[in-house]
Amino acid sequence: MRRPTIPALVIVVGVLLLADLLVVNDSLGELAGVVIDAAILVAAGAALAAVASLALRRSGDLWRRRGDPIGAVLVLAGMAAVLVAGLRPGADGASDPAVQWLVSALLVPLGATLFGLLFVTTLGAARRSLELRSREATLLVAAALVVLVLLLPVSGAVGAWLAGGAQWLLEVPIGAVFRGVLLGVAILASVFAARTLLGIGAADD
Amino acid sequence: MPTPAELVGRVVRFVGDVLGASALRFEIGTTLVVLGILLVLLQLIARPVSRWVTTDVGGLAGIGRAMAVAAEAGTDAVVSLGTAGIARSTDAFGRLQTLSALPLLGHVARAAARSGVPLRVLTNDPLAGVAAAAALDAAHERTATLERLGRSRIVMVGEGRAAAAGLVMTTRARPAAAVAAGSLREEATLHLEGLRGGAGALTAATAEAVQAPTAILTAGGALIGPELFQATADLRADVNERTMVMAANRILVVAVLAVVAGSALVLAGVMAAEDLLLGIGGR
Repeated sequence: MRRPTIPALVIVVGVLLLADLLVVNDSLGELAGVVIDAAILVAAGAALAAVASLALRRSGDLWRRRGDPIGAVLVLAGMAAVLVAGLRPGADGASDPAVQWLVSALLVPLGATLFGLLFVTTLGAARRSLELRSREATLLVAAALVVLVLLLPVSGAVGAWLAGGAQWLLEVPIGAVFRGVLLGVAILASVFAARTLLGIGAADD
Repeated sequence: MPTPAELVGRVVRFVGDVLGASALRFEIGTTLVVLGILLVLLQLIARPVSRWVTTDVGGLAGIGRAMAVAAEAGTDAVVSLGTAGIARSTDAFGRLQTLSALPLLGHVARAAARSGVPLRVLTNDPLAGVAAAAALDAAHERTATLERLGRSRIVMVGEGRAAAAGLVMTTRARPAAAVAAGSLREEATLHLEGLRGGAGALTAATAEAVQAPTAILTAGGALIGPELFQATADLRADVNERTMVMAANRILVVAVLAVVAGSALVLAGVMAAEDLLLGIGGR
């Protein structure tokens, strides 16, 4: 049986914030501010606790010689490097040059190298989908080819007609579908958030 | 000591004073619209199962079969919680997608626990890792298979979206089934292609609208846009429930068709409305 405390708290806080949104009242505004500040503090505390939990878990893996020792060493060494760089005496925290160097000299180039593969993997995925004769994928690739033709850098009247067609495609059918998806996402995200906060579980729970 | 009547009177006066010191932030019409939208949302929230959906969104009904194949082949299964995380995400939308992936993880974890298949959960966020560990615990506890819990593991893939994509592209393990649920952005193709390369079956679920083509191209089953949030309400352990909804929907369609056809006949003057409702000669 679920504990009613959390949903009750959520309902009280939700009604309080809703009332603050709809009604101008100084006392109500101060109370809502206190609740929001408390939520920010709880989130920050949870993030810190999670990082500590990760460090402890990886240390435990190393100590008991289980799991992936190289991965555990890399995680702990990475955490230690960033902590030392950002928290040593005289450091400027996240904006310290040593932390910035770790990000710009290690993380960013690694990410850029991976993203260089996007073009190849996208073509590979399209080819495999066509081989599998997936209806949705075939339609998608056909639409991509049409857009590709419309965006060809052709001059003259034909080029203007192609560019107009591409613009119409973007604004009317693609724009309509995109807006529909975004509206659906917004509605169901709100519903899901409320269900999560109120403790309403999945259908198979 | 005040009497109960005096106490009630004071409370009413206090509420009256508070209301008297307040003013509406918006116009009355806007306020009513906001409250109306909330009422509609509450109706949706109170109904945990979407009544009309009978299709197997994202191929999630096939998870049990995939686990049986994995058990037979002696391989594991992989669930990726996307790359937004909870603590590391900079926007609420990404966090919400990670949270919506947790019920899907629970669904897969229960199927894996029943089949004795080890589960690998990939995440790049410590808080999401803790939540995933709790989901695995709950799944094994519910299926009374706690002795199998030690075979499943949470893999912290490192900070950043690219790190997760890099890990799945370079891993040598070949899982029987993979599910990627949560926020996937610019790295989506790399991430899903990496999972797809090794896995026997791949389901991709993301609410990022611009990544819909990636999910369609790379995954066998795709949950696109709102379907990620909808899937949580449509997970069903028992296939009979889906069949019952399907049968009920067909009966409703037949009833609607009968009403439309009857109305057309009444409007055409072929029969009277009373005959339609009570049967010919039923008056």
